[in-house]
Amino acid sequence: MKIWEFIVRRLLLLIPVIIGVTIITFTISHVIPADPARAFAGGPKAQPDVIERITKELHLDEPIWIQYFYYLNDIIHLNLGKSYLESRPVTDSLAQYFPATLELTIFAMLIAIPLGIVGGIISAIRRNKLSDHITRIIAIVGYSLPIFWLALILQYILAYQIPILPLEGRLAIGMSAPPSITGLYVVDSILTGNLNTLGAALYHLILPSFTLGFATLALILRMTRSSMLEVMGMDYIRTGRAKGLSERTVIYKHALRNALIPTITVTGLAFGGLLGGAVLTETIFNWPGIGRFSADAVLGFDFNAVMGFTILVAIIYVVANLIVDVLYAVIDPRVRLGGGG
Amino acid sequence: MRSFEKKDMKAGVLAILICAMFICIGFSGCTQQQQEEQTEIKNPSTIVKYDIGDAKTLDPADAYDTGSSEPIFQIYDTLVTYKGNDTLTFYPCLATEWSVSNDSLTWTFKLRQNVKFSNGNDFTAEDVKYSFDRVLTMAAPESGVDWILAQCMDMNSTTVIDDYTVQIKLTQPYGGFLSLLPFTIGAIVDKDYVEEHGGVVAGVENEWMKSNPMGTGPYMLDHWTRATEIVLNKNPNYWGGWEGKHVDKVVLKYADEAATRILALKNGDADFTYLPYTNLEDVMGEKGIVVHPFDSYDIIMCVINTKVTNNVYLANGEVRKALSYAFDYDTAIETAYSGYASRLAGAIPNGMPYYDTQNNGQPLYNYDLTKAEQILDNAGYTKSFDLDETLYRFNGTTIRVFFNAGNAEREKMAIMFRGALDEIGILSSVIAEGWPQLLHRMYTTDDWDLMFIGWGPDYNDPDDYIFPFIASADVKGDTYNTGYKNETVDEYLLEGKYSADPAVRAAAYKGAYDIYIQEPSFIFLQQRQYIRPWRDWVQNYSYNPVREWYYYDYYKAYE
Repeated sequence: MKIWEFIVRRLLLLIPVIIGVTIITFTISHVIPADPARAFAGGPKAQPDVIERITKELHLDEPIWIQYFYYLNDIIHLNLGKSYLESRPVTDSLAQYFPATLELTIFAMLIAIPLGIVGGIISAIRRNKLSDHITRIIAIVGYSLPIFWLALILQYILAYQIPILPLEGRLAIGMSAPPSITGLYVVDSILTGNLNTLGAALYHLILPSFTLGFATLALILRMTRSSMLEVMGMDYIRTGRAKGLSERTVIYKHALRNALIPTITVTGLAFGGLLGGAVLTETIFNWPGIGRFSADAVLGFDFNAVMGFTILVAIIYVVANLIVDVLYAVIDPRVRLGGGG
Repeated sequence: MRSFEKKDMKAGVLAILICAMFICIGFSGCTQQQQEEQTEIKNPSTIVKYDIGDAKTLDPADAYDTGSSEPIFQIYDTLVTYKGNDTLTFYPCLATEWSVSNDSLTWTFKLRQNVKFSNGNDFTAEDVKYSFDRVLTMAAPESGVDWILAQCMDMNSTTVIDDYTVQIKLTQPYGGFLSLLPFTIGAIVDKDYVEEHGGVVAGVENEWMKSNPMGTGPYMLDHWTRATEIVLNKNPNYWGGWEGKHVDKVVLKYADEAATRILALKNGDADFTYLPYTNLEDVMGEKGIVVHPFDSYDIIMCVINTKVTNNVYLANGEVRKALSYAFDYDTAIETAYSGYASRLAGAIPNGMPYYDTQNNGQPLYNYDLTKAEQILDNAGYTKSFDLDETLYRFNGTTIRVFFNAGNAEREKMAIMFRGALDEIGILSSVIAEGWPQLLHRMYTTDDWDLMFIGWGPDYNDPDDYIFPFIASADVKGDTYNTGYKNETVDEYLLEGKYSADPAVRAAAYKGAYDIYIQEPSFIFLQQRQYIRPWRDWVQNYSYNPVREWYYYDYYKAYE
C-alpha cells in the first residue's frame, strides 16, 4: 500500500470516530437534568421569551436523539452552533483559542523533544555516571512534580521575586494582537513584520512553554534512555563496534534510529494531549487557550462549545496518531504502513 | 563490581547535591528580593484592573452582566447618573435638567449641548429617541434585558421636542423610572453610526455593535481580545474635558487564577484586582496595597419553597419563621465571608432608597434556637419521630438544602445550617448541584426545599428587589418560584411600584414588609461587601454599588 493510500484511509476513519465521539459526549452532556437555556438567559432573572428562543435554538424541547440528529446535520454543514457563554459562534472561539494552545504546544515541544532526546542519549551512553544521575533526577522531578505547582513556583520566582520574565498572558498588558492570519502570534507578527509584537510574543512564551515542556521532556528523556539502553545491548551494535565503526556512527546511525520508535510514539501522543489544552498551565499563566475554554464550557453546560471542542480533540488525536505511524516508516524502512506487510 | 557500585553511589549522591544546590540558590534569591520595596508607580497614565469574567457584549441594548457593563459605562453616557458613592441623588449627565408631570407620566429632559460622540458626530435628541426605541425594537435577543425599559415605555414613549429636548411619556406611572436610566440599557448610541452598521432589526442582535461600541463617554475602545483584555483609550471629544487628573488608558484584564492576580497586584502590574474573601489575607498588610470594603447591593438569601405540593411543613409560615431563628447569622458572616458582610433586614439592601421601611433597617430575626423550638412546638410540630434513639420533628421528613456547586461561601453556610437544624430536631441534608441543574430543579421540578442564592442590582430601586422576591406569581413577581402569595402584600407592592410619590411608596413598602416578615419565604442572610484591593498610588477611587466603576475619576499619584 502506498503511503498516501494509507493516509487517506486513516483520514476516512475520522468519520466514524467523530460520530462515535459525538454520540458519547452528546449523551453524557445531555442526560443530566438541567436547564441550560435558563442559565444562559440569566438564571432567575431570565425572561421567558429568551428562554424559549434558546430552548428552540438548542432543540431542548425535543427528545435527545432528535436533538442529536439536528446537531449532526449542523456539523455536516460545518456549523458548530453558538457558544452561549461567549455569545458568539463556537468556530470563532475555537479559531481564537486553538492557535494559542497550538503555539504553546509547539514551543513546549521545541524545548521537550531536543532536550529529551539528547538527555536520554547522554544518560544512556554514560550510564551510571554523574550526567546520567543528573538527567535521571531531572526526569523523575519532571515526571512527578504536579504541573500547577511547578507553574506557580516558576511564576513566583522568575516573574515576581526575580522579575525577568512576564507574569502572564500572550503579550504585554494593553498590547494589540497582530492581525490574525494564522492565530499564532509569533508567526503572524513575522508575517506582518511587527518585531515589537514578535519580541513580546516570544518573551511571554518562555515560562508557560517551559512549564508545559518540562513534563513532556521527562517523558521523552526516560523513553529515549530506556530504549537506547535496550538497543545498545543488541548484537548488531556489538558487531558494529567489532568491525571498527566509530562510537559516533554506532550511536547516531545504528542505535538511535532504532531507539527512536517508542520515543516517537510517546511524543506523538503527548503532542496530541497537549493540543487538547493544558488547563492548569493555561489558567496559571492566563493563556487564553482551548483548555481553559473547554473547562469553562463543561462547567457552564455550554453544550455547543463542549461538542465543538470534543470534535476538535478527536481530529487532533487521529491526525497525531497518523503522523506517528507515518514517521515510523520514515525512520525505520522495515515498517510498512497498512495491514499488508 | 563492588567498586563500580560504590562509584555509582558517589555519583548519585553528587547529582542530588548539585540539584539541591540549584534549588537553594533559587530560593535564596527569593528571600533577598523579598526585602526590596517597590514604590515606583507602574504605568502612571494607565489603570489596569485584573478581574474574572470577560464581557459578553459591548452593545448596551443587550448587555446584562457585570463583565459587559463595566466597559460600557466607560464608553457610553446615560441621561442621568450617580456620582462617587452617592446612591440617593441623580446627577446630570447627557441631560442637564428634567421634570415630571403631576400625574407622574410625562418626563421632560433638557439635553446637554456641544456634546460629540467619539467619532465626531454631534449628540442630539434624535440619538436619545433612537437609543430607547432601539432597545425596545431589538428586544435584547441575547439577554432579554429590554424588560427594564419595557416595564413603562413603548415605541410611542419618546418624542423629540427639539434638538436638545426629549419627552418620555410612560405607559404607566413607575416609581423607579429615573433609576432605570443610569443602567446600561439607558446608554445613548449614535443614530448615524448604528444605521451605518446594521441598523435595528426587530428581535435580532447587531453583531457590529457587540464588539464595536462608540459613545459619548470618557473612553473609547482600543481593542478587545476575548478572554484576555479590553483596552480603552481616552476619548478626545469627551464633553467633560481632560483638564485635571485622569488616566489616558484603562486596561481591563481577565485572569482566572487568584494566585496570578495576587502576584500582579503585588508587583504593580495590577492597580486593582478581584480576590475571593479567603484570599484577602494574602495581600492584607502588604506595603502599597489597600484593602477596603464597601457595602454592595449583592445580597444572599436562603429561599424556601412554600408550595404545599412539595413540603407540607414548609408551607406553614410558622415553620418558616422558626427557620429564620435557626440560622446563625453572625457566625456565617465570620466563617463564610471572613467578616466582609453585614446583616440584612429584608429584601431591600442597605443604602437603597426605602431600606429603612424594613423594621427601621434592623433585622427582625436573630439566632435563637430556643425560640425556634418554641415556635415549632406551639405550631404542633413536636419531636416525635424516633431515629436511632434521637427524636425529630416533621415525622422524620428530611429538609433538603441546596447550593450551587463550587460556591465555597454557600457551602459553608449550608453545612452550618444543617447543624443548627439538627439541634432543633429537624432532619436535613446538604446537596450541591451545578447551576443549570439547580435552575432545572427550581423552575421545572419544584423538587427542592431550601436553596442558597444571591441577587445583584439591575437598577437602584427597591422595586428591583422586593417585588421579584415577595410579590406573587399572579402579579408577575415570585422570581424564585417559592409559591408565596399574600394578596394584601401584592396590593402594597403594586402601589409602591406604580407611585412616584416617595411618601406613598414608603408606606406601601412598610406595609408589605410588616405582613410578609411574619411568614417569610426567604431567610435574609447577608449583604456582601465589595472589595477590590488596590495599589495605594490610585487616587480618588470610590465605590458606587449601582455604577461600580468610573475610571474617569481615578488617577495615579502619591499624595
